[in-house]
This record gives sequence, structure tokens and C-alpha cells, in this order.
Amino acid sequence: MKKIAGRIAWGLISFAAAFFMAGIAIDRGEPVNSFWIVLAAACTYLVGFRFYARFIAARVMALDDQRATPAERLRDGHDYEPTNKWILFGHHFAAIAGPGPLVGPTLAAQFGYLPSVYWIIIGAVLGGAVQDFVILFCSMRRDGKTLGQMARDEIGKTGGITALLTVLFIMIILLAVIALVVVNALKGSPWGTFTIAATMPIALFMGLYLRYWRPGRVLECSALGFVLVMASIFGGQAVASSPVLAPWFTWPATTLAIAVMAYGFLSSVLPVWLFLAPRDYLSTFIKLGVVAMLAVGILVVHPTLQLPAFTRFVDGSGPIFAGKVFPFVFITIACGAVSGFHSLISSGTTPKMIAREWNAWPVGYGSMLLEGFVAIMALIAACSLQPGVFFAVNSPPGVVGANPAAAVATISSWGYPVSAGEMSALAADAGEKTLFYRTGGAPSLALGMARIFSSSVGSSSVGSTTGGGSALLGFWYHFAIMFEALFILTIIAAGTRVGRFMLSDLLGNAYPALKRSTWMPGVFATSAVVVMAWGYFLYQGVRDPLGGINSLWPLFGIANQLLAAVALCVGTTIFIKMHRARYMWITAAPLAWLVAVCFTAGYQKIFSDQPRVGFVAEANHLQSGLDAGTIAAGKIAETQATIFNDRLDAAVCGVFLIMVALILIDSVRAWVRILSGAREVQVDEAPFVLSHLQTEEL
Amino acid sequence: MRALLRGVLALLREIADENAYHRHLRVHGRAHSAAEWRRFSDERLARKFAQGKCC
Repeated sequence: MKKIAGRIAWGLISFAAAFFMAGIAIDRGEPVNSFWIVLAAACTYLVGFRFYARFIAARVMALDDQRATPAERLRDGHDYEPTNKWILFGHHFAAIAGPGPLVGPTLAAQFGYLPSVYWIIIGAVLGGAVQDFVILFCSMRRDGKTLGQMARDEIGKTGGITALLTVLFIMIILLAVIALVVVNALKGSPWGTFTIAATMPIALFMGLYLRYWRPGRVLECSALGFVLVMASIFGGQAVASSPVLAPWFTWPATTLAIAVMAYGFLSSVLPVWLFLAPRDYLSTFIKLGVVAMLAVGILVVHPTLQLPAFTRFVDGSGPIFAGKVFPFVFITIACGAVSGFHSLISSGTTPKMIAREWNAWPVGYGSMLLEGFVAIMALIAACSLQPGVFFAVNSPPGVVGANPAAAVATISSWGYPVSAGEMSALAADAGEKTLFYRTGGAPSLALGMARIFSSSVGSSSVGSTTGGGSALLGFWYHFAIMFEALFILTIIAAGTRVGRFMLSDLLGNAYPALKRSTWMPGVFATSAVVVMAWGYFLYQGVRDPLGGINSLWPLFGIANQLLAAVALCVGTTIFIKMHRARYMWITAAPLAWLVAVCFTAGYQKIFSDQPRVGFVAEANHLQSGLDAGTIAAGKIAETQATIFNDRLDAAVCGVFLIMVALILIDSVRAWVRILSGAREVQVDEAPFVLSHLQTEEL
Repeated sequence: MRALLRGVLALLREIADENAYHRHLRVHGRAHSAAEWRRFSDERLARKFAQGKCC
């Protein structure tokens, strides 16, 4: 009886998934309520988790709870420790959820909501969650090896080196692009700048508190930090309204960029306990809290989507970034659908904490589905803004015009009406001087979130984009900006530090002193090199009249998806070695899709003849302007710099594609040799050991 | 409801490394002290921040 009831329930959920997915795709000529999207995602994710992931776990991986995991066999109380599956689920989710699933869908909303919704739902179920789950499984069966180690062992030396270099490059581009998001959110905003500046002394205070005053009291210290950060938001409001203090915190983008670089350098050279660790604890708690709040807010408010299913920009003429819906929606939304970076987490700490093999199912697959849900919520928040407002906030002056009158005229001419008065009222409500040209996604996401938060606590006037005036909107807008900037800056700090370690390791082969983390000249020098590397791209983005996002976000998306391709190559190779060649489509199909998407996008970003899309075309276009003498004398140096940057971006993109082509060729060669019997199959798994773990130990 | 709250608190303590610290004390048979926390924290953070944070 119970079995029949279960089948009926799953039948209904499956039907609901199909019904809601079809429902949002059918154009009824009326606005769509966000409930449709939430239910489409929830039902599809449930079906994917229950049936597809379980099939992979049982039939392909043959997970076995009798088999002792590395957490049990190598238990040391530090890295290797059997952990309750729901705690590990939360821990893993906190590690994989970064700004990507928030910012990517917001930017991709320029195509309308439908392409993004479908990609996030289907991409996560068939691609992203599969990648995370498979890599977690592979690492778990190999004593917690990293992706790079597995690539080297399973595919070959080229695979290992390529994975390492890809990680280093992706890190540099990632840090630059997320730093650009923060800079664009804070430029000309004394409220936001003060709030974020205040988090620096708060972090130092927390570091000292934990180290000397109340050692080990991390939760207590984080609660204190949270109260201080909330106080700094109110402090920011006071600063913004003070004619004396406001100019002190009203910084242009270039100054902010330099400040972010200085921050990255300092956080890399300062002791980790003093600055980075307390920020990390605090930002992780706030991140989890805000995601939960957003979920509740969307359920309570269930806003109607204002953006259409498709905008006119599917043709590639988008103001936020140029390029057609295929392939660009698939690289703009990486985290939330498929993110290569997750494979580093899935082969990092998590496989060392899995208590039982079957726990990898909810931890590996389930966590990614939850991240997909975060992406869906971010998309809903962005799409609940009026289209005119959305494009006014996100479009750079180089596309819509350098003053508000020109911008509203251009945006209205696209069929998305907006007025300068409306934007002024909205900016005043949000506590900002202007909301024009706030490219990068963070401000529009913050506006959408602020609207949901303030509406869910009962303010009816708030959130109408015609103003209406409310202190609530300003508070929630800056709360959302603080939340985004806080954890983006933590990622920048941690990423710079990791980049420093990688560089020290690499250069340490030539100059061994560099490998010593206590040798301060080496620490300073390598930190400076890493900061200069991402800082260069950041500065380039800040100076770019097209907003920087147009060139940097696609580069980041391509790099991230190519890393996913590397991970899926590893997964496919291991499946074949496990004599599961008939199931290799599970990883090979998303791999083929990602290769098609990334190589198309990469090719277009390098060689497209449209200057807004192709780096080389833009460089040639500007060069011909220089040659013809049509560039104003004051703009010549800037144009020459843009030409150089375009060529550099084209080269970086080309290097990404070549590296992944190499690993792909290496993998396919290995598959063919194994399948044809030319190469002996060696499964590099740890031997079977019977588990003796008791339930009460967890 | 109580079980849910207990689970949330356990998750927060795991993220805060407080659970890991208690495991460390148990495994090594040591008592909590400021010096012990600093020793644990230095090791833990060095490993934790040798890996990048996800995008």
C-alpha cells in the first residue's frame, strides 16, 4: 500500500514538473507569476534527485554503505572525519555557493527569463549536479584526491598540468570580474562604501576577539560581528546624509578598484586568523541567512515577473553583454547550472568527511540542486524589476548614452519605457544619488531583493519602481549590497592567498626560498604579482566604456565551463575504467554540450566580425579609427590601451580553448585505447575495507 | 521543530569549526585553553585557505 502511495505521489510530482515547465514556456501574453518558476524548478529537481541521481548512484557508481569511506579509514580528527550527512550537506552547500549563482542569472536576464530558467533547471539536473556528484564519488573512492591529481593519474600528465593551469587562470579572471561587480556597486555610493569599509575594522576586531579574548567562541564572535555590520548599515545611512562625511566616502570606480587591490594584497600578507578567517565565518553565516530569507521572501511575496519570456536581445545586440542567446546564456550562467569550480570543492574537503558512501547522493547531487534554486531566486528577483529600470541600471554609458536623458531615450526606444524622474525617485528611495550605469548585476539584484524583503515585511508602497519613498527600501538595498560585497571580498581575499601559494610553488622550483611561507619578501612579492594579475583585468574593466562586464564575464564563464569540461573528462575516463562504458553518456553528454558551447563562445569572442562581440574585431575597428585619425587627440592613449586589452583578452580566451582541447584529445585517446583493448585498465580506487562505523558516532 | 533547531545549530557549529575543535580536543585528549585553540586554529586555517573559495 505504501509503495503504491509512493508511486502515485512521484507520478504526481513528475506530472507537475512537466506541467509547470510547459506552462512557463507557453506564451499566454500575460505576465507570469514567480510561483510557476519556483514550482517548475522544485518538482524537476525532486524528480532528478529521486530518479536520475539514484540511478547513477545505484547502477553506475554502485555505492555501498558497507564500504568504509576515507573519513572512517583515515580518520584523524582534522581533515578526515565522518560527518553527519545533513551537516555535511550544509557545509558543502556553503562552500559551493558564491556570487556566481546570484550575478550570472541577473546578467542573463537581458535575454528574458525563459532561456535562463530552462538552462538553470535542465543544466543543473543533467550537468552541474552530475559533475559535482561524480567528482565527489571519484575523489571519495581515491582517499580524497584533488581534481588535478585525478586528472594526472587517470588521463595523463597533460591532464594534470592543464587542470592546474586552468585553475590558476580561472582564479585570476574570477577575482577580476567579481571585484568589478563590487566596484560597480559601490562607485559614487557613500552609504555602500562606508558600510563595506566598516567591515574591515570589524573583521580585525573579530580576529583579535577570537585569538586573545574569547578563544574558540566562533559563533559568539560571529553574532557580535553581525550586530556590528548591521550597525554599520545604519552608520552608512548617516554618512550618506551628512554633507561633511559623504564626500569622504564618495569614490569613483578607479579609486575603488585601487582600494580593492590594496585590500587583496593586505589580506594575502596579513595572518589569516587576524583578517581573513573572521570575515569568512561571518560572510558564510550571512550568506546562508540571506539565501533562506530570500526563499521565504519569494514564497511570501511571489512577485510577478516584469521582464518578458524573451527580449529582443536574443539576437545578440544586448546592452549588458553582446552575443546571441546561444551560446552566451550558457556561459553567463555557470554557477547555478554547471560550474567547474565546484569540482575543486567536491574533490577538496567534502570527500574526506563523507561517513557513508550513499551520503554522497544528497551531498554531491542535492547541494548543487539547491544552488540551482538560489540561481532561480536571483533570476526572479532581477526579473521582478520593470524592464526599463533593469536595463537602465545594468547598461553601460557606451551603449545607452552618457547622460540620463540619452539613456532613458535609448532604453525606451527598445520598447522598455522608463523615465529619468522614475529613476531619480528609485535612487532616492534606495539612498543613492543615481542608479544609472550600475553594471555588474549586483545593484539590480539588490534592488530586486530589497523589493522582495521590504514587501514581505508589509510595506505596500515599497518596490513600485515609481518611487513611493521608504526608508525600508534603502535599508534592504544596502543590506543586499553589503551581503554581496562582503562575501565577494572574502572570495577575493582567499583567492589572492591561494594564487600566492600556487605561484610560490611554481616559482619555488627555481628559487626554493619562495616555497617558505614564513619568508616575508617572498610572501610580499608573490602576493603583489597575483594582485597585479587580476588587478590589471579589473582596471581594464573599470576603464572600459562598455562596462567591463561585456568582455570579462564571458571570459570567466568560458573558463569556468572549460574547467567543468576537464572534470567531466575525468569522470568519463573513470566510468570507462570501471567497466561502465555503456553509461559514459551520463558524463559524456554534458561534456559534449559544454565543449560545443565553450568553443562556439570562445570562437565568437575571438573572431566574430562584430566589434562588440569579437575582441579582434574591436581591436581592428579601433585601430582603423586611429589610422584614419578619427579618434580625438585626448582619447588616443585610451584607445591604444583598449586595443592592447582586446588582443590580450583574445589571447587569454585562445589559451583557455587550446588547453582544454589538449585535455580533451588526451582523454578521447585514452578512452579509445581502453575500449579497443589497446591499454590495460587500471582502476586506481582504494581497496575495499568493511565499514565498522556505528550510527551513534554521527 | 526541536530536532530541526538542533540540526541548524550543529551545522552552524560545523561551519564555525567549533565541532572540529571539540573533535581535536577529544582525539588528542587535551583540554581547552587559549594556546590549544590557537594551535588548532592555525593548523585548520592554513589548510582551509590553501584552497580557493567557490564562485
